[in-house]
Amino acid sequence: MRVALVLCAAALAVYAWHEPPAVYVKPYGGTWLGYALGTLSALLVLWLLLLGVRKRRYRSRMGTVQGWTSAHVYLGASLLVLATLHSGFEFDWNVHTLAYVLMVLVIASGAVGVYAYLRYPALMTKNLGEDTLEGTLLTIGDLDRKCRRIALDLPDEVNAIVTRATRGSTREVRLGGSLWRQLAGDAVPCPTREACAELMRLGAAYSGQQAALNGQLVSAMTRKSTLVDRVRRDLRYRALMQFWLYAHVPLSFALLAALIAHVISVFYFW
Amino acid sequence: MEIQVTYVSTSAAGLPQREQRRLAGTTFRIGRGTQCEIHLPDARVALVHARLLIDEEGARLEAEPHRIVHNDREVGGAKLAVGDVIEIGPYVLIVEPPPEGVALAFSVRLSKRVSTKQSTAIYRVLMRTPPLSKRRLSYLAFFGLLALLLAPMAVDLLGREVPAVRALSIGLAQTWNPGPLARGHQGFSQDCRTCHELPFIQVRDHACMACHTGVREHVAPERRTGFTKVAFIESRCAECHRDHKGRAMAPRSQQLCVNCHGADGVSDFATAHPEFRLALVDGDRPDEIRRVRMRDASGPVVEHSNLKFNHTLHLDSRGVRHPRGRRVLGCEACHERAEGGARMVPVSMEKHCSECHALSFEPKVTGRQVPHGPVKQMQTMLREFYARLALGDVPADVAPPGDLPRVRPGAMLTPEERQQVMRVADAKAQRVMREMVETRAVCSTCHHVSRSRAGEWQVAPVALTAAWMPGATFTHARHVAQPCITCHDVRGSRRAEDVAMPAIAQCRECHGGATPAMGKIASDCAACHRFHGGQGLWH
Repeated sequence: MRVALVLCAAALAVYAWHEPPAVYVKPYGGTWLGYALGTLSALLVLWLLLLGVRKRRYRSRMGTVQGWTSAHVYLGASLLVLATLHSGFEFDWNVHTLAYVLMVLVIASGAVGVYAYLRYPALMTKNLGEDTLEGTLLTIGDLDRKCRRIALDLPDEVNAIVTRATRGSTREVRLGGSLWRQLAGDAVPCPTREACAELMRLGAAYSGQQAALNGQLVSAMTRKSTLVDRVRRDLRYRALMQFWLYAHVPLSFALLAALIAHVISVFYFW
Repeated sequence: MEIQVTYVSTSAAGLPQREQRRLAGTTFRIGRGTQCEIHLPDARVALVHARLLIDEEGARLEAEPHRIVHNDREVGGAKLAVGDVIEIGPYVLIVEPPPEGVALAFSVRLSKRVSTKQSTAIYRVLMRTPPLSKRRLSYLAFFGLLALLLAPMAVDLLGREVPAVRALSIGLAQTWNPGPLARGHQGFSQDCRTCHELPFIQVRDHACMACHTGVREHVAPERRTGFTKVAFIESRCAECHRDHKGRAMAPRSQQLCVNCHGADGVSDFATAHPEFRLALVDGDRPDEIRRVRMRDASGPVVEHSNLKFNHTLHLDSRGVRHPRGRRVLGCEACHERAEGGARMVPVSMEKHCSECHALSFEPKVTGRQVPHGPVKQMQTMLREFYARLALGDVPADVAPPGDLPRVRPGAMLTPEERQQVMRVADAKAQRVMREMVETRAVCSTCHHVSRSRAGEWQVAPVALTAAWMPGATFTHARHVAQPCITCHDVRGSRRAEDVAMPAIAQCRECHGGATPAMGKIASDCAACHRFHGGQGLWH
C-alpha cells in the first residue's frame, strides 16, 4: 500500500511540476513524462495480471498470496491515477480511449470485489451462525423426509402439496442454479413457502388427530422454509462474492488486448 | 454426579455395538464442537447444541436457541424422564433406567446417516456454477478484441494494393486515430501512410517536405556555428509540429524562443526585448542593407536616401501652395496603403509630387514638362524640342520663344545652314537647362545636384527604404484604428534624414508581453516574429 501511495503521489507531483515541453500544444502520452507514465502503467497492468498466475502457484515462495492480493488492490487503484495522467485527459473514440475505458471498468469491478470481500463474509457468518451450509442442507433433507412421513397420514390433497414441496429437495426448492438465480437470493417464488400457506389454509378445516398432524407438518415446513431462505441467502452472498470476477477477469484480458493494440498502434504509425 | 452415555453404533457385520462412557459433573455440553462432553459429530448439530444439567431434582436439557425434538415435539428444552426420546439433529437419545450410583443414563444413536444420494444432491447445490466460464470469456475477450484492434495493421500490411481492402483499412484506421488532424492535413486522414511512411519509424521530414517545399530553416545550415550547430542537429519537423492534437500544429509558446534567446537577454516583449533594428538602404549604396539599432549610443538613426523633404512644411495646417489654390495635406496625400492593406505604396514623383512640383522648363513658351529621370533624358528632350522649333516646326501648344531664331517653314537648307540652326537650338536648350537647375532650382528642391569636373550635372541616386523591419510580420491593416501619427511621429521633422519609425516604447504603449496585462494586448514572440522566417510580409 505504501508503494502504491508513494507511486500515486510521485506521479501527481511530477505531473503538476512537469510543464509539458512548450513544443506540444497540450500534454499527452508522447512527452517524456507521458512515455514514462505509460511504460509504468503498462508494466503495472502486466504485473496485476500475474496475480492470476501467482495464486495458482501453490509452491511459489515469491511473497504470500495475501501480500500479492493486497498489493494487487492498492497498485490497481493507483493505476487509475497513473493512466489518467498518462492520457493527459485526452479522450476520443479510438483504441487508446478504449484501453483506458476497459482499464477503468476493470478497476471498478475490482472495487466491487473489494467491497464484496469486506462486506459479505461478515453477513454470511451472521446468516448461518455456527451452522454450515452442508449441515443446513442435510437438515432440510431430514425435514423433507419427516414431512413426507407425516403427510402419509393426511388427506391426498395435503400429501400432494408436500410431495411437490419436498420432491428432490435441493433441486425442487430451487437452491443454487444460474448466476442470476443465485444473485436473486430469496426473491424467487419458493414452493416451500407456497406449501406452508396452502397447508395452513387447508388445516383450518381439520380437527382432532388430523389437525395435530397438520400442525406438526406446518411446523416442520415452516422450519424448512426458514432454513431454505437461509441457504438461499448464503448462496446469494457466495454468488455476490464471485460474480464481479465474471466482469473483472474477462475485462482484464480485454484490457490486455486493448493495451497491446494501443502500444502497437502508437508505434506502428509513430 | 456421574452420568452414563452409551454410544450405539452398527458394526461392520451389521450388528449393534454399545460403547459405554461415564462422565462426572453437573453440566454437560452436547454438540458437534470438540469441546463438548457429549460429542455428536454431524453437520446438522450445532457446535454447542444443548446443555444437560443434572441436579437433585433430576436432569434437564436446555437447547435454546436451538431446537430439539422431545417425544416427537419440537421444543427448546425439556425435563428428562426414563423412556424419553430426544432427537438432536440426526441423533436419537433414549433415556434409559440408570444403574446404581449414576444420575442419568441414555443411549446415543445416529439414526439418519447421510446417504450418498443426499450428499450428491448437496454437492450439486454447492458446485452448481453458472454455465458461463470466466476462462472462456477471457479467451474470447482477449483474442476477439486483439483481432479487432490489430485488424488495421494487418490490412495495412497485407492488402494495400487491393482497392476493397484499402477501403476497409481506411475505415479501420479511424479507430487508431489518436485525435483530429490539423485542418490542412485532414485530406490525408484517409491514408495514414501519407505521413507515416514506414511502420514503426517516426514521421520523417521527407513526408513533410513533399508538400511543404521552400520552408526555410531557423538557422540556415551554412550559418550554423557553435551552439546552433549543436542545437539543430537532426531535428525533425515533427519534434515541434505534432499532429493529431486538434487544429493547431505550430507551437507558439514563447518559452521555445526564450530557451535559446533568453541567453541573449531576450525573454519577453514587455520586459526584455532589445530596441528595434532597422534595415536601411542608402542612396549611395543601394545594394547594401545597413542594419542600425534605434536609439543606440551613437544618436538617432539617420536615413541617407539622398532626398530632400520637409514633413513640417508639407503638413502645414494652413495648407501648401497648389496650382489650384492652397491645399491642406494629410499623410494619405502621399502615403497610400497598398492592396491588402499591409504595406504602403512607395511614394512616386509622378503620382504624389508632380501636381505641385511641375517640371516645366519654360512656362511662358509651353506647358510641357521635362521627364522625371536621368539628366541625359532631360537634356535630350530639351534639345529635340528647341531643334524642332528652330527648324520652324512649331506645334500648336507652343508660343515660340523670342530668343530663338527660326527658319522659315518650308525653306530648303544647306547642310551648313542646318548645322548652324542646330547649334543655336542646342545653345538654347543648354541655357534653359542651366536656368532650371541653377536659377529656378527645379531639381534641387528634392535632389542633391552637383556638377562634375566635365561640367555635367549629377543627381545623387535616391534609395528609399521600403521594408524597415523586414523580419517582422507587422501589417498596417491591423493598425488602421490608429492615426499614422501615433507611430510615425513626423511633427517637427524638417529633413528627409529623420527616421519616423516607432521605438519599442511606442509599441509597448499598446502591446504587453506574453502574459496578459491590464489594458494591453498580449503579444508573444510569434506575434511579430516567424520561426522559419521567409514568410514575413515585408520580404
